[in-house]
Amino acid sequence: MTDYIWFLAKRAALLVAVIFFGVSAAFFITHLSPIDPVETALGRISSQASFSPQAIAEMRQTLTELYGTDAPVLSQYGNFWRRLLVGDLGPSLIAFPTPAMTLVMQAMPWTVALLVISTLITFVLGNLLGGLAGYNQNNALFKSLGMLAISLQPIPYYVVAFILLILFGFVWPVLPISGGYAMTVTPGLNLPFVLSVLNHAILPALSLVLVGFGSWFLGMRALVSNIVTEDYVTYAELAGVRKSTIVGSYVMRNALIPQITGLAMTLGTVFSGTVITEEVFNYPGLGSLLIDAVFEGDYALVLAVSSISVVAVAGAIFVVDLLYPLLDPRIRSE
Amino acid sequence: MTDDILKVSDLKAYYQMNYYGNNFEVRAVDGIDMSVRRGEVYGIAGESSSGKSSFVKVLAAAIRPPLRLVSGSVRYDFAGHPIDLATADARDIEAIRWKHLSYIMQGSMSVLNPVRRIGRTFEDFASRPLNLRGRAFRDRIVAHLERLKLPAEVLQAYPHELSGGMRQRVTIGLATVCHPEFILADEPTTALDVVVQKEVLKLLRDIQKEMGAAVIFVTHDMSVHANVADRVGIIYAGNLVEEGPTREMFSAPKHPYTAHLVASLPRIGDTAQRPALDGRPPNLAKPPPGCRFHPRCPLAVERCRREAPPLETVSPDHRTACWRWSEVAPLVDHGMRQEVVR
Repeated sequence: MTDYIWFLAKRAALLVAVIFFGVSAAFFITHLSPIDPVETALGRISSQASFSPQAIAEMRQTLTELYGTDAPVLSQYGNFWRRLLVGDLGPSLIAFPTPAMTLVMQAMPWTVALLVISTLITFVLGNLLGGLAGYNQNNALFKSLGMLAISLQPIPYYVVAFILLILFGFVWPVLPISGGYAMTVTPGLNLPFVLSVLNHAILPALSLVLVGFGSWFLGMRALVSNIVTEDYVTYAELAGVRKSTIVGSYVMRNALIPQITGLAMTLGTVFSGTVITEEVFNYPGLGSLLIDAVFEGDYALVLAVSSISVVAVAGAIFVVDLLYPLLDPRIRSE
Repeated sequence: MTDDILKVSDLKAYYQMNYYGNNFEVRAVDGIDMSVRRGEVYGIAGESSSGKSSFVKVLAAAIRPPLRLVSGSVRYDFAGHPIDLATADARDIEAIRWKHLSYIMQGSMSVLNPVRRIGRTFEDFASRPLNLRGRAFRDRIVAHLERLKLPAEVLQAYPHELSGGMRQRVTIGLATVCHPEFILADEPTTALDVVVQKEVLKLLRDIQKEMGAAVIFVTHDMSVHANVADRVGIIYAGNLVEEGPTREMFSAPKHPYTAHLVASLPRIGDTAQRPALDGRPPNLAKPPPGCRFHPRCPLAVERCRREAPPLETVSPDHRTACWRWSEVAPLVDHGMRQEVVR
């Protein structure tokens, strides 16, 4: 038991370090960007009316003081951490003075729900079918499923998203192609709203599932076709152990261990992957928010979104790490 | 003989492969005739790639492509369940597995599922054939483990938590818990060191005697055969070249290959280098004509190159496939003869 606590402490320390470096990297990259939020704001204001150069200079000074962009980067960095530790990410610059945190919190449930559901569906479907395909290598149905997976897998997810958009939005217009819910329903816990949300999530989720499915399927199939030649599988077959037990507890169970590592690793890429998916489907999640923030030079918002995603990805990997000893008894005793 | 539990007639099993339109055929088992009696330990010896593992795979109904059963029959006479593996369907074969016919596999390190507790593996393997569940099943397993000098705690353990010897005893336990009438043991002790090997062999022998099961014991280690087998059969290049009572096989072999195998055994006090056999085992995709041993045989004559010798009975229970079997005696190491006959 003390071993497990020690293991836990080490993993937790790693988690803190990863979050620190990840958030710091996000901070410096945004501050090194050539987009100046003050100039962007001035451009936006002066495009609506004409101002005297003096008024513009005054506005520039006010905005600079307000955003704190004149201070040296290192002192900005220090301030950033001081505020972050009390949960304040500062005001958004484009939606000033709304706190960046509020915008993030509005967008977050959309992205998290979309991601968790589509990742789970993909993982379960890909591994289950891939495992069965690896075990029944001569089955025609699984063979053709394998061909489908091989042909789907290399297609970039944004291409798949556009193809779905064209197919179900224009060729056979049965699904909504944009937004998170219909304008005609009122947000809240009511049936029309929930149905509308589900209806709008089908296409973005489908684009993520279709693309993710291939790699899980192919990975699992390859793993399983190796494991079926292992002595313990042959031995169980010679002993007349029930087929379902062999497939489930002998073959798939052993193949699942590397796949869980894969799951932890794809969680990171899935997070960035949804940025474009959300943009294509105009989905009100973190991805769309991030793109708007980048184009407007809204440091605070970019930082808020990327800090949250750093924490989420590192946290997910941490949880998967903790699950490991439950999956593989050989790790437990180390 | 009516007390035969296994009768193999003219068994041929080949590996048939097709690479880029070229057909290859490796004749791993090429016309084996033999039988095993109830309660007997029959040792099978032979060098690597002699076809002995393929032979055991056929006996265990574990034939997978590219290995194919070409002709012949494998008849088991199990109590109330006679079966010919060559003609039986999958369902009949499933019905005899573990209940009547069990198997101890080569390599105890890898035959147990690494992520399953030993107790669950016992359930998977034995619960159905024994038709027991829950408490009664557990009691039966624990009693059986006790016989193998294993504590009941191993049921809670994962394979990696056990030593090599314990793991091998667990696999012997798995193979014997259902009291099968026939056990195929394929190199069960090869991965173990000599001390553990001796213990495990004794255990296997004891439990076999107690249950009265017939055993086919495969190993290339002639000294193991000397210790456990009632009869020994020698396989060379896919053929059974000699079989006979263990003692006779060591003291008076009637095939030059057996004579060489016996002569190669190390013995206490003798520091002379063991003679090695020249040449390599023949390529079974293109076996030599006539007697397959003739390219390496010191007694080979013209006839051996042309005609394959039949397996003929030279004394009760002793058969050999050699044209010049009566001239084999001078090849025999006399020190060995004395030691075994003693």
